[in-house]
Amino acid sequence: MPRSAKDQTMPFTNKRRAALMGLPMGAVLLAFFLLPMARLILETGSEGGLRLYWDALTSARYATSLFYTTALSAAVTLVSLALSGVVGVFLARNTFPGKRLLVSMLTFPLAFPGVVVGFMVILWAGRQGLLGQLTKALTGDKIVLAYSMTGLFLGYLYFSIPRVVTAVMAAAKKIDRELEEAARSLGASPRLVIRDVIIPALTPAFISSGAICFATSMGAFGTAFTLATNIDVLPITIYTEFTLSANIGMAACLSVILGTITWATLFAARIVAREDSIGAAG
Amino acid sequence: MKKHGMLFNAQLILTLACCAFLIIPICQSVLTGLSTNAFKGVSSGLTLRWVDEVWTLYSDTIFRSLFIGLACLAVCLAVGVPAAYFMVRMKNRWTKMLEELLVLPLAIPGLAIALGILLCYGGFTEFRMSWLIILAGHVIFCLPFMVRSVAAVMAMVDLDGLEEGAASLGAGFARRFMNVVVPNAMPGIVSGALMVFTLSVGEFNLTWMLHTPMTKTLPVGLADSYASMRLEIGSAYTIFFFALIIPLLTAMQWVGSRSIANVSAAQNADDSMEEQTMTTDIRRHEGRGVPVRLRDCGKTFPDGTLALKPFDLTIEAGQTVVLLGPSGCGKTTTLRIIAGLETPDAGGRVFFGDDDVTGVPIEKRNVGMVFQSYALFPNMTVARNIEYGLRVRGDDDARRTGRVREMLRMMRIEHLADRRISQLSGGQRQRVALARAIAVRPRVLLLDEPLTALDAKLRDSLREEIDTLLKRLGITAVYVTHDQSEAMALGDVVVVMKNGEVAQQGSPRDIYFKPENGFVADFIGTVNTVQCKVNGDRLLLPGGRELSGDSIIPPKTPEGSRAILLFRPEAAEMNSDGHGLLRGEVLSSCFLGDRNRLRVRLPDDSICTLDAPGRQSFHTGKTVSFDVPHHSFRLLSEEESC
Repeated sequence: MPRSAKDQTMPFTNKRRAALMGLPMGAVLLAFFLLPMARLILETGSEGGLRLYWDALTSARYATSLFYTTALSAAVTLVSLALSGVVGVFLARNTFPGKRLLVSMLTFPLAFPGVVVGFMVILWAGRQGLLGQLTKALTGDKIVLAYSMTGLFLGYLYFSIPRVVTAVMAAAKKIDRELEEAARSLGASPRLVIRDVIIPALTPAFISSGAICFATSMGAFGTAFTLATNIDVLPITIYTEFTLSANIGMAACLSVILGTITWATLFAARIVAREDSIGAAG
Repeated sequence: MKKHGMLFNAQLILTLACCAFLIIPICQSVLTGLSTNAFKGVSSGLTLRWVDEVWTLYSDTIFRSLFIGLACLAVCLAVGVPAAYFMVRMKNRWTKMLEELLVLPLAIPGLAIALGILLCYGGFTEFRMSWLIILAGHVIFCLPFMVRSVAAVMAMVDLDGLEEGAASLGAGFARRFMNVVVPNAMPGIVSGALMVFTLSVGEFNLTWMLHTPMTKTLPVGLADSYASMRLEIGSAYTIFFFALIIPLLTAMQWVGSRSIANVSAAQNADDSMEEQTMTTDIRRHEGRGVPVRLRDCGKTFPDGTLALKPFDLTIEAGQTVVLLGPSGCGKTTTLRIIAGLETPDAGGRVFFGDDDVTGVPIEKRNVGMVFQSYALFPNMTVARNIEYGLRVRGDDDARRTGRVREMLRMMRIEHLADRRISQLSGGQRQRVALARAIAVRPRVLLLDEPLTALDAKLRDSLREEIDTLLKRLGITAVYVTHDQSEAMALGDVVVVMKNGEVAQQGSPRDIYFKPENGFVADFIGTVNTVQCKVNGDRLLLPGGRELSGDSIIPPKTPEGSRAILLFRPEAAEMNSDGHGLLRGEVLSSCFLGDRNRLRVRLPDDSICTLDAPGRQSFHTGKTVSFDVPHHSFRLLSEEESC
C-alpha cells in the first residue's frame, strides 16, 4: 500500500483544522498591519529612498527632534524604574492597612489615553495649575512647567509609573523568600541582600518593563499633543509633516525610523531578558 | 503591632508621594468639572452645568466609542480566540513567526500604523470616511492583547489531555473546541475582553489620525475639549471618561483576583478518606466487548524514532490485557494506536471484531478511555462529566439521567454528583474517570496507567476494585502500567514490552514462572542468575555440584556451551547440614518478619538473593548452603539472557 499523505497525519490532532484556526488572524494582520507597513516603507522609497533617510538624520530640525525624544524617553525610563522599583518591591512585600487602595490608585492611570495624561499635567503645572498657585502663595512667583520639557517629562512619568509598578510588583511577588533568608543566614546585611538577591531577581522585569516604558515614551503622541509644547517630539514632528506640510514622504520616513527604534528596543530587551532568565534557571 | 523601621517609612513616603502625583490631578479635574468657576475652585459652589453642556456637545462621541469598542471586542473574540488555540496547539515555525508578528503592533507607535493604514486605504473614500477604518486600527492595536491573554490561560490548561478525553467520548473537532477548549480558557477570554474594550475606548494615537469630523470618538472629543482652552469643559468631559473607565478597571481587578483564587482552590482539593468500595452489585454483564486485533502495527514518529516495531496482538472479547514495561517501551503507543489517537505506520491494521478501524478517528471508534491525568473536564460537574459521552451521542434526557445514576451508584459516588472536579480527591477523580469511560458502553475500555497518580495504599484498594469491575462487566480491556504487581493482579494476559518490542506474552503465571528471557525474568519480581555449563545432560554449577538437566535443558543445546540458570529467591530452601546444591557467603541479612532476605556470594563471585525462614538468624560472613527444587529452575541460553 502506498504511503499516502493521509496515513502520515494523525487522525486526532487535526493539524489542518488547527491551522485553519490561525487563518482569520493571519488575514487581519496581513490586511491592516503588514500591507500598511509595507506601503509605508515603499512610500519612503518612491520619495527619495536612502537620501530621504539621510536627510531625516542630518537635517537640524529632524535630528534635534529625534535627539530630544530619545533623551526624554531615556530619562523618563530611568526615573520611573528607580521610583517604581522601590514602590513596587515595597508594595509586594509588605502588608498594611490601606495597601489595596494604594495599589489601585497607582494602577488606575494605566488605562488613560495620552490626552488625558496631558490634561493631568496641565492641572498640575499649567497656568491655573496647583503648582503655580502653591508657588504664588509661597514666593509670589507663579511657576508654570506644563508647556516645557519638564511638563513633557512629568506627563511621560505619569503614564510610565503605573506600568512599571505593576511589572515590578508581579516580579517581586515571585522572589523566593528563602533566597533572602539564606543570604541573611550567611550574614548578609539588608543592603547586601538588596544588592545580591533582590536586584538580580528583578533584573529581567526591569529590562522588559524599562524597554516597554522607553518604547511607549518614544511613540507617545497624545500627551505632547495636548500640552502643545514648543519642543517637537518625534511623533508631533511626524504629525505636522503629514498634516501641515503635506510632506508625506518625510512623515513616512520618520515613522519608519521611529518604529525601527521602538521595535529594536523591545526586541533587544526580549533577547536579553530571555538570556537572563535562562541564566537564573540554570 | 510590629514597629516599622526607617527603611519602611522612607519607602512608604515615596509610595505615598507617587500616589499623590497620580491621584491629585484626577481629584482636581473632578472638582473643577463640578465647580461653578474653574479659577476660584470649589469655593465658587458646585454645579452640574458643565457636565450637562458636555453631554449636549459630545454625547455622540461617547456612544461612538462604546460602539466601536464593542465591535472591536467582537472581532477580537472571533479572530483572537481561535488564533490563541492555534498558537498553543501548534508549536512550529509558523506560530513562532506569528508570535513575533503579534509583538509588532505593540512595538510600533500607533502613529506609524495609522499612517500606513491611511496610505494604504485612504483612497477608498467610503471606507476612509466611515468608522470602519477606526475599527481596523483598533483591532490591530487590541488583538495582540486578546491573543496573549487567552493563550496564556490555554497554555496552563492540559489541553492535550482534555481534548483527547472529549474525543475518546466521541466529540468531534467543533464540539471539542466549544465544550472543552473555550470554557476552560474562559478566565483568559474574560480578562482579554475587558482589556480589549478598555483599550479600544481609550485609544487616541491611531484614532486621531484616522478620524473624520463625522467619526469622533471619546478621546478625540477629549482632545477637542482640551484644545478649547475651557478648563471646566475639559474637566467635566474627563469626569465622563473616568465614570466609564472605573467600572472596567474594577471588573478587571476582580476577574484577576478571582482567577487567582480559583487556581489556589484547585490546589487545595481535599485528598482525604476514601469512601466505600465500588462495584459490589453489578448483576448483568454489559457484554459489549469485542475482540481487538492489531496486525503489523508499528509506529515511527515524525522525528524518525521507532517507538514500536511492527507486531501482531490479539485480544479476545472480554479479556483484560495488560501492557507492561518500563517507560519508553512502546506500551502507551500501542494503547494509543488501539484508541485511535495515533495511526500505525503504513501497512498496520487495527480491527475491532471484524471492523477495520485503522482509518477511523477516536471519536468514531466507541472506545472508553481512562487517562493517566484523568482528563476530567474542570468546567463541568461530576454528573456532567459522566453524561458528556451520552450527550455527544445524542441520547435523550431520560436515558442520560438513568445511565448517569447507574454509573454513580456503581462507583458509589452518588453524593458527589454535583461537585466540581477541583473539589474531588485523587481516588474520587479516578472513579469519575472510570464511570465516564464506561457510561458510553464502549466496545473496548482503555486504561493508561490509571493508578500512577495515587498514593500506594489507595492504589492497592482501587486495583482490587478495578479488577472486580472488569471481571463483572465482561468488557474487553487494555490496561497499561509499569507496575508488575498491578499487571499480575489484573491481567488475563500480560504483554511485557521492551524497546518497542514484545518481550513475552502470556498468562501472569507463565510470565512469572516461565520467563522466556532475562529481561522478563528481571522485570517481574526478583530473580537470581547463575552461570553454569552444559555438560551432557547435566549442568555444572558454581561451587562444583552438578544438576540433572532433564526437563530443564532444551533439546539441541550444544555440549559445553554456557547457560544461565534462573530461580526466584523464595524457591531457595536452606540446607542445614551443608550439602545443598549451592553454597555461598552471607553478605547481608535483613529480617522482614515472616522471612529473612539474604544476599549471598556464590563461589564464582556472583550474588544471589534468597528468602530464608524468619525464625532462623543469619550472620554476615557465615557460609550457608541451600537447595532449589528442580522445577523452580529455568535455563536460558546466553543470548536469551540479555
